[in-house]
Amino acid sequence: MNSLLLLGAALLGSVMPSLVAQETSGSKSSDAKTADAKKDEAKKADPEPKWFAVVGGDVHTGTGGLLRGATVLAKDGVIESVGYSTDLPEGTEVLSARGLQVYPGLVAISASLAVSQGSRFLAEDDLHMRCCVDFGKNGHLHEGPLDAELDLLLADQAGLVDAQSDLRDAYDPFSSSLLMTLAVGITSAEQSGGALKLKRGEIDGVVMRERFLSSFTWTSASSGKTQLREKFAAAARYLREKREWDVRKDKVKDLPEPSKKGIEQKILSVLDGSARAKFNANDRDDLLGIARLAQEFGFRPVIEGCVEGWIVAEELGRAGAYAIVYPRQRRDKDENLVRAGGSSIENAAILHAHGVQVAIGPASNGIDLGGITGRDLLHLTVDADFAVRGGMTDAAALAGITTVPARILGIDHRVGTLEKGKDCDVIVTDGDVLHYETLVQYTVVAGKIAYDKQKELLFAHIRPRTPGDGKTSNSSGDSAPASAESQPPQR
Amino acid sequence: MILRLRDAVLALLALAAAGELAGAGEPIIGRTPSARSGPPAWGAPIDGQSGQPGGPGLALRCAKALTCARSGPQFIDDAVVLVRDGKLEAITTAAEAKVPEGYERLDLGSHWLMPGMVDLHYHSAGSFDINDMVYLANPELRVAASVVPRNPNLDRNVAGGVTTVLYIPGSGTNIGGQGVLLKTGLDRFEEMVVRNPGSLKVAQWGNPERWVMGVGKTFEGWTIRDTFSRGRAYARAWKDFEEGRGPKPELDLMFEPFRPIFDHKMQVSVHTQIYQVVLLTCTMLKGEFGVDVFLDHSEIGGWMAAPVAEKMGVPAIIGPRSVDPPSRFFINWAEVREEGFIGLGAGWQKGGHTKIGFNTDAPVIPGEELLVQATMAGHYGMDGSKLDLVRGLTIVPAMTAGLGDRLGSLEPGKDADLLVIRGDPADPRSSVERVWIEGRSVYDVRGERRRF
Repeated sequence: MNSLLLLGAALLGSVMPSLVAQETSGSKSSDAKTADAKKDEAKKADPEPKWFAVVGGDVHTGTGGLLRGATVLAKDGVIESVGYSTDLPEGTEVLSARGLQVYPGLVAISASLAVSQGSRFLAEDDLHMRCCVDFGKNGHLHEGPLDAELDLLLADQAGLVDAQSDLRDAYDPFSSSLLMTLAVGITSAEQSGGALKLKRGEIDGVVMRERFLSSFTWTSASSGKTQLREKFAAAARYLREKREWDVRKDKVKDLPEPSKKGIEQKILSVLDGSARAKFNANDRDDLLGIARLAQEFGFRPVIEGCVEGWIVAEELGRAGAYAIVYPRQRRDKDENLVRAGGSSIENAAILHAHGVQVAIGPASNGIDLGGITGRDLLHLTVDADFAVRGGMTDAAALAGITTVPARILGIDHRVGTLEKGKDCDVIVTDGDVLHYETLVQYTVVAGKIAYDKQKELLFAHIRPRTPGDGKTSNSSGDSAPASAESQPPQR
Repeated sequence: MILRLRDAVLALLALAAAGELAGAGEPIIGRTPSARSGPPAWGAPIDGQSGQPGGPGLALRCAKALTCARSGPQFIDDAVVLVRDGKLEAITTAAEAKVPEGYERLDLGSHWLMPGMVDLHYHSAGSFDINDMVYLANPELRVAASVVPRNPNLDRNVAGGVTTVLYIPGSGTNIGGQGVLLKTGLDRFEEMVVRNPGSLKVAQWGNPERWVMGVGKTFEGWTIRDTFSRGRAYARAWKDFEEGRGPKPELDLMFEPFRPIFDHKMQVSVHTQIYQVVLLTCTMLKGEFGVDVFLDHSEIGGWMAAPVAEKMGVPAIIGPRSVDPPSRFFINWAEVREEGFIGLGAGWQKGGHTKIGFNTDAPVIPGEELLVQATMAGHYGMDGSKLDLVRGLTIVPAMTAGLGDRLGSLEPGKDADLLVIRGDPADPRSSVERVWIEGRSVYDVRGERRRF
């Protein structure tokens, strides 16, 4: 639907310029589109790009390089260069990161909807989360008890089904949850199978990808597995026949088009690559089954949980699986089985060593404000630490909360590393990002400072930043970046 | 296949870690990845008999020993630790070490040694039916009856470095019963027991409101005061009898635990939180009754009572919460009208308190994650530069439980409860590689799958 609208706007703007210019189209909606098209043109004509630079920090690019004292320069929110001896164009907004560390923004997979939708979900309430996730994914509510608050919420969002974007329309760019998420360095988050860029105070461009992860159930009942396999087989058969039909239809008259009846669009999307299949599975046997299914039909599965993955890591690696691992997830071995089983702190490390792309999730993907810390979305790095405890390298664990989740969400062309052409989503920290004493000093989203530790009340009082470390300024020709215009407030 | 997988992974890990050897001149505990120690540099495999009671002596050499001594220097670089008959014999620098003839020598390379950790608020040592709510005060109940040695929780706790726990009743009533101090990794209850009873569990406020009648602060306060008053009378009567000043009192199981309490041989562990409640814990139990009391939980604004608790000598053991969250976003239990995350460890520390420890309230936080309580205290502003985070996992809880002469530090004569660890214990990345309890090797990642 989005693309249709866009196509319509484009047609109005280009194919029928005269009509537009004369404003004779008559219908109201066309007028609105006309105005949009004009705005777009005006934007294109704007000759003044917005430059932003993070200067002097130790830049951990995420591509294997550590550039000490380097500069990240961005133009209109996109990285223009990462390196040394960068000429800053006049008017560049400069963030000094001297003495600080610079990393790509973190990517949170399976994040609580509180991140983008505001404080209503602050309590980690399973019912609310589940219902809302289901609602977002399927456009309708699953069965289950509702309380008054939830009804209210759904009433708020009742327009979503026909809206252009569930995620965009539900996004609250001013919420305290969003601020806290940014404050811990998370700049992108999965929401309902899509990916959001966590912009603060604005909505344009928050949706990076929508409805990309598609949930499948690999049930413990064997009939469910057989049915799913048959559905994949039918979809694959349809695609083959459709391709053949596409080739032959011009040559053979009245060749009947293959029937799509009974073919699940969801599976077609997985097979043609426009969506990615996500399973929630933990048992060794289920993991093997998913690996076989994926290899048989040629797709790369995302497996969330993957608790016994360490036992079948070879097979998962061969199937090109992505795993979303919660390093502290516990499961005791089933003592009825002779084979190895249960959870292992080494899971992430072993999977990684066998070529599985491992994303790391927090013990709880909500935002816990009950006082217990170190287990929720606000402490994603702690779970990366536990992956390291189990044998992962620091670099692989960091990739598990940056590049790998970006790949899983299909946004790795935009976020996850600091490279030319990617979005300028940067965090500036006062030390090793995986160390427990490290605090995020600045979070930059799309080339704009979205969080400054000393300007917010959340963490400003904890190890206040030394004056001189990290300043913003405006490079206007002769004034050096180091001459700051403003000092961060000290508490 | 599993063994083969494991070998491959270990080889990869060794390669990966090879670049991370701790350099000379590093701070005690640095913030860079290199602060963690490198690959194992074990000596020849040992049979696990050395150091045990009756076995040959054991000499361990390590890059750093975090001694956590009660006072004085807290660490020794390039240290040698001597173990014999389940006890620590000597802890010196390698240069000063005199290793007796016949001792097995084991070089731990760049790994560190530290004392086993102590968790003073723990419920996972057995069956979980430890929250009887028959009466509002049940001092006669003993959780020791429900211990299940070597259960999966205890086994994982060992790999988290936790060697001693105070297994206590739940907080459903004002006086839940008697806890028991246990070593985690041993096979039989008789071996595990450090002291039984280990403490009398009091839950001052926050949970017992759920009791049958729906009680509040006033009745709960009266219940505790009344029970302690009667307990004191009972203890005095027995004291008088023992010292020939009175007749033999009638045995009353309900008040038996008060005899060791008023003899200062056992502590009262108090589930207490919120400023006023913590104040009452100090003034009533310590001030009025003069018993050895310590604070559990110590959360939700409790840190504001730090100066009083410090002055009265009441230790603060914190957890499972580690912050007062911004009250703007949440209920305002703490009555701290702050808009920031207040670290509880930082709060107690800034209030001048010097006996800050950590607890998990397992299974609320899994017991093996005791270290995360220190991690989070550090994250939220507690100063760990004098190793207070590590002390809060070891010597502070040991002294709090009245075991300062037996546990919690590497000092001669103490139990040989030892951890081989890859670096800063407060950093979750620092895995525990090996554990001895009373000189017995109870966990070794070389011989089994890493448990945690």
